[in-house]
Amino acid sequence: MLINLLVVNPFLDNLLKVLSLVGLMTISAMSLIYLERKIAARFHMRLGPTRTGPAGLLQSVADALKLLGKEDIRPKSADPWSFELAPYFVFIPAFMMLVTVPFTLLLNVQMFTLGLLYLIAISSVSIVGWVMAGWGSDNRYALIGALRAAAQGISYELPLVLAVLCIAMLSQSLNLNVIIESQSTLPNILFQPFPLFLFFTAALAEMNRSPFDIPVGESEVVGGPFVEYSGIRWSMFFLAEYTTLLVMSILIVALFLGGWAWPFGENLGTFWQIMLTLLKTSFVIFIIFWTRVSIPRMRIDQLMNFCWKVLIPLAFLQIFFNGFILVLELPKILLSISSIGLLALLVVIVNKSIQNLNKEIVS
Amino acid sequence: MTDIKKEIETQEILVNMGPQHPSTHGVFRMVLSIDGELITDLTAHIGYLHRGAEKLCETMDYRQGIGFMDRTEYLANFNAELSYVMAVEKLMNMEIPERAQWIRMILVELNRLSSHFMFVGAFGVDCGVFGTPFLYSFRERERLIDLFEEITGDRMMYAFFRAGGLAWDVPVNFESRVEEVLLSSEQGIKDMDGLLTQNEIFLARTKQIGKIDAIDAIDWGMSGPSLRASGVDYDIRKAEPYLFYDQIDFDVITGKNGDVFDRYFVRLQEMRESIKIIKQCLKHLNPGKTLAEGASRNLRTPPGEVYIRTEAPRGEYGIYLVSNGENRPYRLKIRSAGFSNLQALKDMVVGSYIADAVVILGSIDIVLGEVDR
Amino acid sequence: MTDVANNLSAKFNDLWKKIDSEISHVDFRREEDITKMSYSDLLLYVKKDNVTQFLEKMKNNKVLDFNYLRCLTAIDLQGDGIEIVYQLYSLKHKYNVTIKTTLQNDDLTIDTITNIWRAANWHEREVSEMFGVTFNNHPDPRNLLMPEDINDSFPLRKSHPLAEIEILQGEGIDPSIVDGENK
Repeated sequence: MLINLLVVNPFLDNLLKVLSLVGLMTISAMSLIYLERKIAARFHMRLGPTRTGPAGLLQSVADALKLLGKEDIRPKSADPWSFELAPYFVFIPAFMMLVTVPFTLLLNVQMFTLGLLYLIAISSVSIVGWVMAGWGSDNRYALIGALRAAAQGISYELPLVLAVLCIAMLSQSLNLNVIIESQSTLPNILFQPFPLFLFFTAALAEMNRSPFDIPVGESEVVGGPFVEYSGIRWSMFFLAEYTTLLVMSILIVALFLGGWAWPFGENLGTFWQIMLTLLKTSFVIFIIFWTRVSIPRMRIDQLMNFCWKVLIPLAFLQIFFNGFILVLELPKILLSISSIGLLALLVVIVNKSIQNLNKEIVS
Repeated sequence: MTDIKKEIETQEILVNMGPQHPSTHGVFRMVLSIDGELITDLTAHIGYLHRGAEKLCETMDYRQGIGFMDRTEYLANFNAELSYVMAVEKLMNMEIPERAQWIRMILVELNRLSSHFMFVGAFGVDCGVFGTPFLYSFRERERLIDLFEEITGDRMMYAFFRAGGLAWDVPVNFESRVEEVLLSSEQGIKDMDGLLTQNEIFLARTKQIGKIDAIDAIDWGMSGPSLRASGVDYDIRKAEPYLFYDQIDFDVITGKNGDVFDRYFVRLQEMRESIKIIKQCLKHLNPGKTLAEGASRNLRTPPGEVYIRTEAPRGEYGIYLVSNGENRPYRLKIRSAGFSNLQALKDMVVGSYIADAVVILGSIDIVLGEVDR
Repeated sequence: MTDVANNLSAKFNDLWKKIDSEISHVDFRREEDITKMSYSDLLLYVKKDNVTQFLEKMKNNKVLDFNYLRCLTAIDLQGDGIEIVYQLYSLKHKYNVTIKTTLQNDDLTIDTITNIWRAANWHEREVSEMFGVTFNNHPDPRNLLMPEDINDSFPLRKSHPLAEIEILQGEGIDPSIVDGENK
């Protein structure tokens, strides 16, 4: 709101917004790295960074300076074009995603009518960058990692879209602000817990975060597509990774947890709306960090089976139920029941498959 | 479908894992041929940590050799030292004081605990957990190592056993300290159950992976937990009791299936058995001497040979000692468990996925210092 | 000394009798010399040509059932050749036996036993590179522990010096070049 009032010239206005986005991106990535290190350290019963600055707060700054000062190495046998361009293909989509993120009702760069579609479309562009990095590095670990990333990214696009579709059916819109406004009394998580799980899982896979960090798994492919990168190029991948993390978390908050609207309605001041969004986002990010430190990595075939044989059929079921209930204008409680039922079904399927492993042992 | 496959030219890729790779547990190197994600062939390369311990021992007297045993098996040093000093004692036909024997048993079992803690933690990392089981188990291992430091003065290279007993007696608060450490170790094992054994993804990653049946495992000369996971009831502590293992009540843990999970689970259960053994040993600890009569610094063994095998955490740690009547071995062969277990890796890995190769290698629990010697 | 030897031979008598009665058509003998006595296991000597045959019988005989190859190694006896040592174990009956065979220095070859126990594979490769013994028909006769290109020196032989052939850093460079620069 402040920015909107101060700057009248639309060109200057947008320039200022984009520049502030760059600032936001860097600062949020650095603080998220610091937070991840501190939170992981707490889970590990160690201290994490303590020496640089008060409580190690400047650790990320020091790391960034170190990365800037590092030599930018390109292997002799690497393909120069795809190797050098790959970081931009990962970095720019992450940056573009920030454009339509709803921090508050008014504070955003541009709220599109089809904002959700835009976000999903842009987020999948980064796969191109991953494949370019893997192919261009001329390293076998990188190649394996890149192909894993491509397979995983494209597969999990589907559950992501299907989960979004469930929400769009509920709110009758793809505009993120409309979706949030529709949740000002009750958040979508109450009606759609299964799509929330779906979206959370798919988002983890899209971001290549644990337990789906298969493309970068350091105990197998030693960092995957980034093996050969160093210095500033490597840090661009990192920046993109944490920006995607931020955007995806805000998206989860917007779609399922009521964004800035729930539980205080739309008339809260901009400041408190930002605080509310950040609070919820921090909670989601904390859960993502928590998953990372406590769950082993899945294997690529298990990941694919989970996506195609479990998540997608169940997602279609949810869409079918939603459509059925909404068209016949049945009470909304049925949405929750159907969704919780699907969640229970998922748990049963997973338990069954684990038990099958045990059965084979007996025979 | 077959026609399309013929038209597209495919090529197997060779992937070189190691010697610089985070999950080859040291400097092991394996060259994998992969077809997509599937492994079609594996060539193992060892020897990057070969320091010629056997040759060096031939040039040094018996007491100096103890230090080399520490450096071969650097995660279970007491177990390695035990085999060596027992070989010398057998040649000398020495009577070892009872107290020394009981303390040896306690230390050896404690070392088995610390080594298995290391395994469980590292195995969690191999499965892709970001550090949590690793640091939890390392905390327990740290407590054990602190205790070893209090006793021997060193955290890793103890050189505490002597032919004829121990270098010196344990501190006066030894018993209470051991009980204290055992208490926290018990909790640590429970933590591991919660962090790994009950985790669905962990189960999916480890069950039915890297299977090897009993006949193959015996044929490859595997030993220790890796062999017992295949269902072979062979533990040297029971089969050919040494020290006072025949007076102690404990179970030999065996698996059913010979897969990665069984190898993990056998080790975890074995840790519980070790705690049981130590608790019984503590009851037998009476004051007394810790070094035998006639155990001098410079021993001269009668000519002859001896093959001593003991149950180290990774399996059979054998010392084949040939003497020609001098004060140093004429030939010393270290038969390490990891060396034989690692041979079977190819059988287990071929046909599984790349991610499994790392987990299977982790489940054999190799120590390269012991493999390469 | 003789007491110890007598005790030991009494200890292994049962097993010796069993092996003696079970295995026929192969020449083997028991070690009687006190100075070469094994303090832990029964020690048998077999002629080089019969080793594979003998070991195969030891493994496949139902009464003996030596199914586990503990260890395979060699001892350099300097003038008397090289001894190959096999340590066998029967998981079923809990018997141990050590079998030795002597190779003369002018003919350091012996048949592989990898077809009997696959466990012998790496052990034989190690013996081969460390002692210069050739194992006929070995499936994978590469160096195991040592670099691929060291095929002419055998470190565990007694004649091999311990430190003399160590190449220090900078050695092996053509001295004339260094000298030329100095001049």
